[in-house]
Amino acid sequence: MTETTDTPYAKPLPRITADNAPFFDGLKRGELRLPRCDDCGRFHYPPGPVCPYCFSEAVEWTPTTGHGTVSSWVVVHKAWFPAFEAEIPYNVVQVELDEGPRLTANVIDAAPDELSVGMKVVAVVDTVTPEQYLLRFRRAK
Amino acid sequence: MSEIIRDKTAIAGIGVSKFGRGLEESQLELGLVAFKEALDDAGLTREDVDGLSIHMGWPLGVDYDRIAEVFGLDIRYVNQSWLHGRFVTNALQHAALAVASGMADCVACITAISFTRLRGFLGGPEDQEGTREEGGTHGEAPAYGLTAPASGAAMAMQRYMAQYGATSEQLGEVAVTFRRHAARNSRAVMRTPMSLSDHQASRMVVDPLRLYDCCLITDGAACVLVTSTERARDINIRPVTIAGMQGIRSGREEFIFSPRGLGLNQQTINPQPARERDLEVYRSAGIDRDDVDGLYTYDAFSPLVLFTLERFGFAGPGEAAAWIQGGRIGLGGELPMNTSGGLLSEAHVAGWNSITEMVRQLRGTAGDTQIRGASVLQWGTAWGDSIILRN
Repeated sequence: MTETTDTPYAKPLPRITADNAPFFDGLKRGELRLPRCDDCGRFHYPPGPVCPYCFSEAVEWTPTTGHGTVSSWVVVHKAWFPAFEAEIPYNVVQVELDEGPRLTANVIDAAPDELSVGMKVVAVVDTVTPEQYLLRFRRAK
Repeated sequence: MSEIIRDKTAIAGIGVSKFGRGLEESQLELGLVAFKEALDDAGLTREDVDGLSIHMGWPLGVDYDRIAEVFGLDIRYVNQSWLHGRFVTNALQHAALAVASGMADCVACITAISFTRLRGFLGGPEDQEGTREEGGTHGEAPAYGLTAPASGAAMAMQRYMAQYGATSEQLGEVAVTFRRHAARNSRAVMRTPMSLSDHQASRMVVDPLRLYDCCLITDGAACVLVTSTERARDINIRPVTIAGMQGIRSGREEFIFSPRGLGLNQQTINPQPARERDLEVYRSAGIDRDDVDGLYTYDAFSPLVLFTLERFGFAGPGEAAAWIQGGRIGLGGELPMNTSGGLLSEAHVAGWNSITEMVRQLRGTAGDTQIRGASVLQWGTAWGDSIILRN
């Protein structure tokens, strides 16, 4: 067994499946892509083989603007996972994208007392390991 | 559905183990205590039990096959659900449906859990269910540090506060009331009086939820025996019947810890009073909501009490935080809730502690927590499923 000397990334990573791989491929290219239905024109999330609104299978991964609004937020004060302990207290938000779907992630540049429902944010890509990219948000200028 | 279900089945026996933290007994040992007590209570023997409906299996609880082989049962009907609290109603409903359909004569719902021994399963590194792609079922997002069920309830409460101006102080009424109930209950794990300032001084766990907004982590077991009402009448003086029920709701408009229309996950933002479709349980039982003498709910987190009240139309959208003030959900109030102290103060036996309390209430044997003249009680959850019991 080979062991690397680098400190391993200790936080949980997303599970990549056939359903969500294009999302992470998009992040790798610096894009926030979501499934969009060619028939009814609506974006949706979570991804799957069919549009949940019109039941069409004509679903295409399509870039979004990456712009959205914080629809809710929390600040975590308890270390359920040892790997997050050093960051306490940290935020997790739900963002309603301008295209409609809501995604959960962190806002990287807001202190706990600066968070609010209605805060405008924009997507950024965080390279957490050489192979894994995560979506996060920063405050919109 | 009403004619198939209404009062056709009954809870003939209940049993509980002791409740506590860090109990030495295994889940099988705790479960046996509860099972034997329920059999004695009903005047039945283990040979009478031919069905099992198991809410939480291994590793938090015990799987149906292990229960059957260890307790020496001969079973012809089984239901078992995931390791989620939400399936308490579902497990009891399946027991009733199995009896009503003739698949079983007597179904034991045995919930025997050790949360303290297996803490890592509750939002920790061993919690596999929270790592589901695109989010766990309580809204978990482990890559972002949102790993525990509490976080989903916090996310919903934060939005509810922003939308309606509800406050942490208002929410505190839930924890304070249920602690007052627990103080009257000798089985309860937390009986020390709690004031609103104690609640406000308790540490933040996931803002806006404080420690006392989150339920206990305990060990314990409860057993409920379901049989036909006819049979229950033969063996019991006063059977508690399952009068009506409705199932769990799911879809893009539903998030487990949020009322419809609040705007969590993929819900639209469209708050509306309870719809007829969400009130089927009253039609199923042939009653009006006003007939309910007490409401019991899965209070894993205190906001779920507000959301349950709105879900079943006791309060309108955004109104429950104000509605509960002034003793309304306490013993002696307009709508007593979780009279044994609930998951917040009695124990976390995945809601079955409250189900057994409902049976005691309807038998008139609840002692210091008795709701005077209780004849119709509702079990209902924030995710919309429900059962009505009556005597």
